[in-house]
Amino acid sequence: MKKKALALLMTGIMAAGMAACGSNGGAASSNAGTDAAASGDAQAAADAGTTSAPSGKGVRLLNGKPEIDAQLQDLAKKYNEETGNTLLVETIGGDTSASDELKKMYQADNMPDIFVIEANQADTWDGMLVDMAGEAWTDKTGFELTNANMGTIGFPYTVEATALAYNGDLLAKAGVDPASLTSPEAWLEACATIDAQKDALGITSVFGWCAEPANLGWSSGTHVFGQYLDSGLKPDDTTYIDLLNDGGQIDEARMKAFAEFIGMMNEYSDPDLLVDGTYDDQVKGFTDQKYVFITQGNWCVTEDTGFECGFAPYAFEDGFNTIIAGPPSYWVAYKDGDVEGAKAFFNWCAGDSAQNILVNDAGLVSPFDDCKYEAVNPFYKSMKSYIDAGNYSGWHTMLKKAGLENKTCQVFADYAQGKLDADGFVSTIASVIKSYYAE
Amino acid sequence: MAVNSSSRRVISLACLFGGIALMVIALILDAMKSDAPFRGAFLVIGMIAILAGLFFFPTLKHHRTFVYVVFLFPLLFTFVVTVIIPLVLGIGYSFTDWDGIRLTKFVGFANYGKMFSQPSFIWSILLTVLFVAFNMVLVNLVAFLLALLCTSKLRGLGFFRAAYFLPNLIGGIVLGYIWQFIFANVVTNLTTALFDNRYSMLSESKTAFIAIIIVYIWQYAGYIMLIYITGLNTVPGEVLEAASIDGASPMQTLFKIKIPMIAPTITICTFLTLTSAFKQFDVNLALTNGTGSISNFLGEYLTNGTEMLALNIYNTAVINDNYSLGEAKAVLFFIILAVVSIVQVRISNKKEVEL
Repeated sequence: MKKKALALLMTGIMAAGMAACGSNGGAASSNAGTDAAASGDAQAAADAGTTSAPSGKGVRLLNGKPEIDAQLQDLAKKYNEETGNTLLVETIGGDTSASDELKKMYQADNMPDIFVIEANQADTWDGMLVDMAGEAWTDKTGFELTNANMGTIGFPYTVEATALAYNGDLLAKAGVDPASLTSPEAWLEACATIDAQKDALGITSVFGWCAEPANLGWSSGTHVFGQYLDSGLKPDDTTYIDLLNDGGQIDEARMKAFAEFIGMMNEYSDPDLLVDGTYDDQVKGFTDQKYVFITQGNWCVTEDTGFECGFAPYAFEDGFNTIIAGPPSYWVAYKDGDVEGAKAFFNWCAGDSAQNILVNDAGLVSPFDDCKYEAVNPFYKSMKSYIDAGNYSGWHTMLKKAGLENKTCQVFADYAQGKLDADGFVSTIASVIKSYYAE
Repeated sequence: MAVNSSSRRVISLACLFGGIALMVIALILDAMKSDAPFRGAFLVIGMIAILAGLFFFPTLKHHRTFVYVVFLFPLLFTFVVTVIIPLVLGIGYSFTDWDGIRLTKFVGFANYGKMFSQPSFIWSILLTVLFVAFNMVLVNLVAFLLALLCTSKLRGLGFFRAAYFLPNLIGGIVLGYIWQFIFANVVTNLTTALFDNRYSMLSESKTAFIAIIIVYIWQYAGYIMLIYITGLNTVPGEVLEAASIDGASPMQTLFKIKIPMIAPTITICTFLTLTSAFKQFDVNLALTNGTGSISNFLGEYLTNGTEMLALNIYNTAVINDNYSLGEAKAVLFFIILAVVSIVQVRISNKKEVEL
């Protein structure tokens, strides 16, 4: 009897296990905005400015930012409250590559209706994304992602900026005006001035710049390298990314100027951070007022620091006065998914109540012109001043060949360690890029 | 009996044909991307009907065969789905331009040609071979010494055995991050004080490679130690006692009696270390992520100074978004491991015969 009971139990467990394997889970973290009332769909569509109603089954959104998962779940609830439509938010967490996970989902025929991509991943999904040209939200932003073959494909859910983030209070104490930092000479003079007052200012070094490649390769290989591609250019100027993507070419004169600027950063950086540091060390050093500048973007601190935060340009040539600003990634709609549902959500998401959650709760910077909320991010004012003045460059670094950052970051690390000089940096990075593009 | 047999035959054939029909319908509906909710039920009922048909087939021989197959089926099915099908597909993909989404054309051996023209890949192969060679010697040496210690008459042996084995229970990724902190902070403080070198071991390819070896030994020696302990415990007490009475020194006992008598254990441990070291991935990923520069290898500056074969395959496919090339590299990796495993089995079998 006992044996039979055990056999029955084991069979039950096996059957339950197989049933669980077969269920359409997939969501690491998902939440429907409670029960969707299909009756509300028509009203929702009307509110959202679309003429066709979504399917009513619920729209699945794959989010690539685990840090705002809770806020997106709130967004889903709000969406359901206001429109009766269901939004299911699934979040890919930690170091998991959203791009890789999406490929698995595609192979498993389990694609979400909306998912996150970076600009250089658009070609991977060629012919599979919805052209959203003419949707109401596109009239309220200039940050949408467009593609030559597929049209307007990317909904910008946030704007991020990166340049040399500074501590305004320390600069004021040192007598340096950040607005003057628009030429290499001005930077050299400012570095020397600040360095001479290190003890008085109570700082460890002028820069908190970290070229450690294993964990911070994304910073040096993508963001800092991106300054070579875009600094000083208008947002639609693709001169250097086009050159790069044409077989891995670089402009040697521009790269040399960039290398000399990086050399200055190496010289005035905290040596303990420069080669072996971590992201946490870098950000903590900045918030503890041990570094005047750090090489990060507005994401590095999201709450009040107690001092003025701003951005200064990587002015490696005279007159450079831009920071890189724009959406680092986009939400796109899958062509074979719930297209109308996705469009309805995007139109609602560009509206007031969604922006309230995204800006005030999630701490994002809105890409929409009519958003009335000011981001709580301490860098917001500085970002806004650059964007309003048109002094911003594009995130074209996201259009380079996938994986290049893991190659170039090592060259930054060798330069930081003193294995290369500025000329060595230029020739080495040129050969590394060339051979990677040749693969 | 004959009537019984013929009725069973009818039931059996009905179940078989009915089951096949249901499964075919279910698969056709699936291929047509039908939303019919009964597809799954048809498939499962069809499978059960086929199994019932085989069960009722009226001969003892078939009945027994069926029972064997039913008991083997869950394992065979899992093995086919998780190993055989991906292996065949993987080999197939390596001859295409598959990008994880689409397959537009067959490219023949182009991916194989490309991978051997990459100095960074050749470097990864050489580095892996070097890593395996170092670890085969060092892990076994350390594990054997620990086993000798843990089979001596010291106090607290249980504690030592557990302590040496414990690192093996920690996942490689966690281990990598723990040691990253140790190398970047604790060890760097020491090297700064002793050699005035303020950069961590992980910032140089050569020293980072040594660091990976150290962590691997720390992780794996405890596991191999347990096998050596088992081997040493099989050495008969009377042989050791006789050696002791004959005046053999501890070193003579070790080299003339213990080591020869645990030769099969040494073979097993050597091959275990070999295959495991070849597959090194997690510690490599967490500790250095394959970074490190090599100023000149085959005329190129390399940026993957500590990237071993498994990590190179992962980075090629997932990070560099080149799935078909990654598959080609994975096929080579499979061939290397298959050859090593076959040699291992052959040698182990030969030893067993000799014993």
